[in-house]
Amino acid sequence: MYLMSKIKQVLLVLKPGVVTLKYPFEPHPVAKDFRGQPSWDHHKCVGCGGCAAHCPARTILIRDVCQDLRVMYYDGSRCTYCGRCADVCPEDAITMTEQYELATNDKNDIGVNMELFMLTCQRCGRCFNMETTNMIDKMGLRGFKYDNLETRAVISKLTTEQFDPKMLEESDRFKRPQK
Amino acid sequence: MDILYVAVNILVFLLLAPFFDGVVRRITARVVQSRQGPPLMQTYYDIFKLLGKQNLTPGNVGFKIAPLVALASIISVIVFFPLGHEVNVLAGYADIITVIYLLTLGGVAVLLGALSSKNTYASLGSSREMITMIMVEPVLAMTFILGAVKIKSLGIGASVASVAGGGYGASVIIMLVVYLAALQAFVGRQPFDIAEAEVEILEGPFIEFSGPNLALFKYYMLMKQMFYAALFVVVFIPAIKTGYYGFDVLIQLAFVSLVYVLIAVLGSTHPRMRIDQAQKFYAVLIAASLVAIGLSVYGI
Amino acid sequence: MLTIDDVKKQLKDKYQAAVKNFEAPYSTRLFVDIDKSKVREISNEIIKMGGRYLVSVGYDNIARDKTLGLIHNFSLDRDDLFVCIRTSAPVDNPEFDSITPDIPNAGWSEREYMDLLGMKFKGHPKPKRLILADDWPEGVYPLRKEVPYNLMPPAAENVAYQLDEAPEGCTTIPVGPFHPTLHEPAHFAVFVDGETIKGCDYRGFMVHRGLEKLCQTQVTYNEIPFIAERICGICGSVHATSYSQALELAAGLKISRRAEYIRTIMLEIERIHSHLLWLGIAGHLIGFDTVFMQAWRVREAIMWYGEKLTGNRKTYGMIVAGGVRRDITPELGDELLGILKTIEKELITIHKAIVGDGSIHRRTKGVGCITKQETELWSLVGPVARARGVDIDVRRDHPYAAYDEMQFDVPVVDSCDVWGTVVVRILETFEAIKIIRQALDKMPAGPIMTEFAEDVKPLQHAIAAVEAPRGEVVHYLITGEENRPERWRVRAPTYPNLQGVPAMLLNDQFADLPIIIGSIDPCFSCTDRVVKVDIRTGEKSRLTKMDLEKISRAKKFAGR
Repeated sequence: MYLMSKIKQVLLVLKPGVVTLKYPFEPHPVAKDFRGQPSWDHHKCVGCGGCAAHCPARTILIRDVCQDLRVMYYDGSRCTYCGRCADVCPEDAITMTEQYELATNDKNDIGVNMELFMLTCQRCGRCFNMETTNMIDKMGLRGFKYDNLETRAVISKLTTEQFDPKMLEESDRFKRPQK
Repeated sequence: MDILYVAVNILVFLLLAPFFDGVVRRITARVVQSRQGPPLMQTYYDIFKLLGKQNLTPGNVGFKIAPLVALASIISVIVFFPLGHEVNVLAGYADIITVIYLLTLGGVAVLLGALSSKNTYASLGSSREMITMIMVEPVLAMTFILGAVKIKSLGIGASVASVAGGGYGASVIIMLVVYLAALQAFVGRQPFDIAEAEVEILEGPFIEFSGPNLALFKYYMLMKQMFYAALFVVVFIPAIKTGYYGFDVLIQLAFVSLVYVLIAVLGSTHPRMRIDQAQKFYAVLIAASLVAIGLSVYGI
Repeated sequence: MLTIDDVKKQLKDKYQAAVKNFEAPYSTRLFVDIDKSKVREISNEIIKMGGRYLVSVGYDNIARDKTLGLIHNFSLDRDDLFVCIRTSAPVDNPEFDSITPDIPNAGWSEREYMDLLGMKFKGHPKPKRLILADDWPEGVYPLRKEVPYNLMPPAAENVAYQLDEAPEGCTTIPVGPFHPTLHEPAHFAVFVDGETIKGCDYRGFMVHRGLEKLCQTQVTYNEIPFIAERICGICGSVHATSYSQALELAAGLKISRRAEYIRTIMLEIERIHSHLLWLGIAGHLIGFDTVFMQAWRVREAIMWYGEKLTGNRKTYGMIVAGGVRRDITPELGDELLGILKTIEKELITIHKAIVGDGSIHRRTKGVGCITKQETELWSLVGPVARARGVDIDVRRDHPYAAYDEMQFDVPVVDSCDVWGTVVVRILETFEAIKIIRQALDKMPAGPIMTEFAEDVKPLQHAIAAVEAPRGEVVHYLITGEENRPERWRVRAPTYPNLQGVPAMLLNDQFADLPIIIGSIDPCFSCTDRVVKVDIRTGEKSRLTKMDLEKISRAKKFAGR
């Protein structure tokens, strides 16, 4: 009984043979619709900010540098590769590539910085403004916490050396900009 | 010139012990677990890597000398080993009692290192190691005694050669089975790697060791494994003498690698036992080996 | 069979004025508003009706009427009914009667709200800190609305959790925070006498990610499924489904039938791979690595299929509020059937090999025993409960998605030990294969997404449960104003099961500890999801190697 079960086990394990790959030397192709690193096509992007609004991990940040220059920064270090940005992009400017070997020493390697020249309004001479007339509101979505490159800088400096009950009152500065 | 044989003993064991471990790892991976597995030389790389790391010692003399004592004890056991069925010149200065003492000394060194590290897991592991030692060493002793009873001598070469030298009687068969059953316990592999049990007590006695100290202990374990595997060949597989020392050694090593294959297959098809279950198992082994001794006294 | 009206009548008759209001938006959910003085009695009453305690939800209502709300949730398994009793206390004196003396499983929930909301529970047997770090300042309750999500008090020195005293004559073995058995940080102080375990104390919640607070303050309804999916590394779809169902209930949205079928298939795919994963881990924990490698080899086929279907081998990202993201085409369906066939064949051989192997029986039979009564008392869930003869399964008792049309058995074993959980899990895998085949067979055509017609109304309560591979997942949702939840409470199956572990460990060998803890398939990060902790400590983390060594040495010697 005992011996039979052991022999059966050995027979069971002999059948499939070696199934693992010599991985780094012998790559395994990924499936067709794999959700790898997202890639941006700056020719197609209109800078609407829909991807930034829908990103669950908040890795896409937007900043209007001046009237007609908008900077979009994709911070790959926090990306969860859910592919939500590619879904919502109205111009199909974002595609999920098959890249998944993204280990790097410098997290800037997997970030993408895009500078978009925006068209200005013919009537008022400015491009639409993300900070005061929130694009997200136009899209019929509410509750979007406006993250820009400056907030990103704030987040990393958030450590407080001394705890002070006043901090709770000062917490307003973490609130999103008022409309 | 005789002293050359001793040098060959030590060299063969020092050089090949990690290789055989690599063989076990490779067989476990390739044959049983359906994966690529590490290269055959992996164990050498491991030891080299450990030798280059920093030694962390929680400041106790016992802790520092324990790995040295362990390695020294196993090397001195190997000195007396009749490799190629050639009893070397030093074997005349010792007998089987010495060998058993020296083997036990290695175990004691492990306990010394474990207990002086004052770690909870280490002490748990050392208590398990102690139980294993007390219950398994008798089987080894009985094997020697079986030969000694037959030839009425405690000399190493004589008693080792005489176990199966006179053909396979009932007592020898029983002893062979008992030795095989205890083999995994001797070499500290599954299902009897209870003292080191990685998922329970994190390598038990060796938990606080690092760098070169750990490398020495690793080497000690590897040499011990090879000693027990080679001892099985010398004791139970009668001498096939070609007349050339080199050939004899090679034939013996071929058998040793077969024993390693057995170790690999047994080790990878069994879950680890609990210490109380293992104790019962060892008790049966001791009883069986006593029966073998009893039979051999009557020449069966 | 009790109906909603029966429950209403019984409560009203017995507790007249204490029961203020009933709310039953669906035939399977009953919300009862009660006076806080009767919490304990009414809870016991529902237990007597055949209720099983699920989880408590505490929430901050200070902005509206200066109260803290508390909801105890119960499931009446035989009657397909969830009963949620809601009560509240003023924020100046937030004291409730503890229900832990009667329902031990409520212990953690109540301790959680002591930490997070500053509630007080009269008569709680162990009012110790559960979730917050030991150096978290007193009087700051992170789940209250006034506290920003990214508040980070400075670290304090020389504070440590006080573990329970070891019983007479026992030594303490620390298992964790890092230990090969655990796979994730958690600390068990195990009291042993020789090798026999005489008790244990648990200090966990070391990997909080603050998901609930984050989702209540930062993101919107549509993004939460992706965050919910990352609550657990193994059973992500379960959380996403449970959240989506709760939201759909709150919004009164009925999603398309095809989407429900696809959800069912995703959940069962997840069950197959999770159970195979567990089987492998269990083998590893008893030192049988071959089982580990072989079970994972079999599992690999379904992982690659997941990648093909959803775009990722584990975090499928398939389930969103209102439906699913990708459709299962006929070709993909056929491929799935082929994969199931090979898995079934291999699993039958593995099953036979395991059942016939005496050496595995030796390590699992008679280990981690607790009786059926104890299991019910601790309200354990999932395979852990089913291995002890407790016949519960959300898929059958509270059908969701397309489970009402599926034919399947719920394997129940009454061996009361770890071996039972092995058997239950293997049999469940076969059932999962059966369910997927039926679902692929019956799947109706139709859209896979249903849009929300209008905004979700604020302050709607909803509770949804989903049977995860490890047990049941409960999500409680209170909808809020800014297109995001007011309160979202997640209860993973490990949360109740981990509380039963000390009972299972009692009088077993220390060598069995890994497999006993492993037998509940613990997922510590599922359990520890609540508080807001930002791990980045800025400048302070930049220590050189020498500094770290100095610190660790100093600590070591100080400890001696």
